[in-house]
Amino acid sequence: MKLTPLPEVSDRGFLFSYEEGKKMENIWSVVLIWTLLALLSSLISIRIGVSVALVEILVGSLGGNLLGLHAADWINVLAAIGSVVLTFLAGAEIDPHVFKRQWKESLFIGFVSFLVPFLGTMAYAYWVAHWSPEASKIAGIALSTTSVAVVYAVLVERGYNNTELGKLILSACFITDLGTVVVLGLLFANYDRWLLIFVISTGAALYFIPRMTPWIFERVGSHISEPESKYILFLLFALGAIAALAKSEAVLPAYLIGMVLAPVFLANRTLAHRLRMMTFTLLTPFYFLKAGALINFRFAMAGAGLILMLLGVKVAAKFFGVYPLTHTFRFGPRKGMYTTLLMSTGLTFGTISSLYGLSHGLINQGQYTILVTVVILSAVVPTLIAERWFAPHSAPLSETNVEETMAVSGSESSLKGGDSHVSKDTGSK
Amino acid sequence: MFRKILAANDGSEGARKALIAAIDLAKKYRAELHSISVEEHLPHYAASLGEVLEAQSEANDYFKKKNEEAMALALKEGLSLHTHVLAGHEVGTIIQFAKDNHFDLLVIGFMGHSKIFGRIWGSTSHNLTRLSPCTVLVVK
Repeated sequence: MKLTPLPEVSDRGFLFSYEEGKKMENIWSVVLIWTLLALLSSLISIRIGVSVALVEILVGSLGGNLLGLHAADWINVLAAIGSVVLTFLAGAEIDPHVFKRQWKESLFIGFVSFLVPFLGTMAYAYWVAHWSPEASKIAGIALSTTSVAVVYAVLVERGYNNTELGKLILSACFITDLGTVVVLGLLFANYDRWLLIFVISTGAALYFIPRMTPWIFERVGSHISEPESKYILFLLFALGAIAALAKSEAVLPAYLIGMVLAPVFLANRTLAHRLRMMTFTLLTPFYFLKAGALINFRFAMAGAGLILMLLGVKVAAKFFGVYPLTHTFRFGPRKGMYTTLLMSTGLTFGTISSLYGLSHGLINQGQYTILVTVVILSAVVPTLIAERWFAPHSAPLSETNVEETMAVSGSESSLKGGDSHVSKDTGSK
Repeated sequence: MFRKILAANDGSEGARKALIAAIDLAKKYRAELHSISVEEHLPHYAASLGEVLEAQSEANDYFKKKNEEAMALALKEGLSLHTHVLAGHEVGTIIQFAKDNHFDLLVIGFMGHSKIFGRIWGSTSHNLTRLSPCTVLVVK
């Protein structure tokens, strides 16, 4: 008589069953490829001095088109968390003091910088490109953004980050992004009781969280088990879950919570540093690689004309919206043009909006490809034009004393020491 | 002859040699001695402000260490070194700083680039020598 072991018995001899083992093997292979691409992106980014996010998108697009890279479910989860935490950090990097000084100008320029491109690109997508109303709304949102990070790097290199002009531009960028996030969060929501619950809970969170958080942080303190970071993640996911029930978007409460917690983060730089490290290492690489992998080169080639037109419409809309206001606030033509071009840049919220549209079936992959390509070009082209032809003359050289140059975040350590000199803001008002 | 001397310090071995020469000249001419370091590797087209802030912070930590070493070197010769760290393009920033602060002498290290790069773009030391508003000493 032949004895055959029962499957259950033989399975018990291993850590995983055969099927489970196969799955694990696949997971590790997938992790290996994505991690390799993330590492490659980091190395390229360091070598060429271009942001790792942009390189990840480009590497992801090569992976998607040449290697057939696609996101598994668990990668989608990591990518979604990455976009939410990245949005939270974007809100938390605001210095409220910058707003207080020039709130009127910031508010006007920032709001118009959102509204005119939103309406302009949406109208173009709907009436000229004949996209569906929903796809046109996504186009409007994705191309209304301004990249605070792109603008900040340019201002630092030009020595404008400490000037009134630089601070005004930065705070206006935050307002523009706020407009984008609010519209993305509310335009596609279901207007039912869940939205009401979402609005009430977000409102309550915005009121209580800034009051509770310092108290909680004081009690739990900094620890290797990261209770502070977990508390932040808990808040983001709780509000994200309610946002999803209302068919809204988790990035809306994330940005708002970031804004109200900005003073806490200004006071606690190590927490900001730890959250960034976690996000840039484990979350955003999956998000940006995925965003790139979904770009289809065939659609990009076929839609090259539309890509150029949408980029032109975005920049033109920013010009019609922002440039007259710079005159009203007496910037002068050169600085006005410089400001307008910098406010035409976009990256993070543009890709977040496009990915939202694709994942919710509001746009197809061709439209996604076109929008993300325009977003990438809008990060690069207006910056190059601004730097090459419209950089204000005799840029003030402000020294990199971190306490001053990081006025936006008010964070990090000071470079002061010995006889280090710090130039005063020479102002370019 | 020289009242204000500026040494370019990127933390390299070449820059160290330039600093030693600058200290020697400052001592000889009883000149005011400054050094400048330029952060030129801030990430372009960043997706988050944090990425730029972290890069800036890393660069600052690096230059803080290098400037402390430079100040100790000057102090050994009885001199006070005024250090400056700025962000921007290396050549443009040093030239603008030298112009704005009326330096008499710019002391730089000879920085070797690849031959192809050097032929097409010109090396940093070549460009600094060409564009500087004051006398330039290239230390090899």
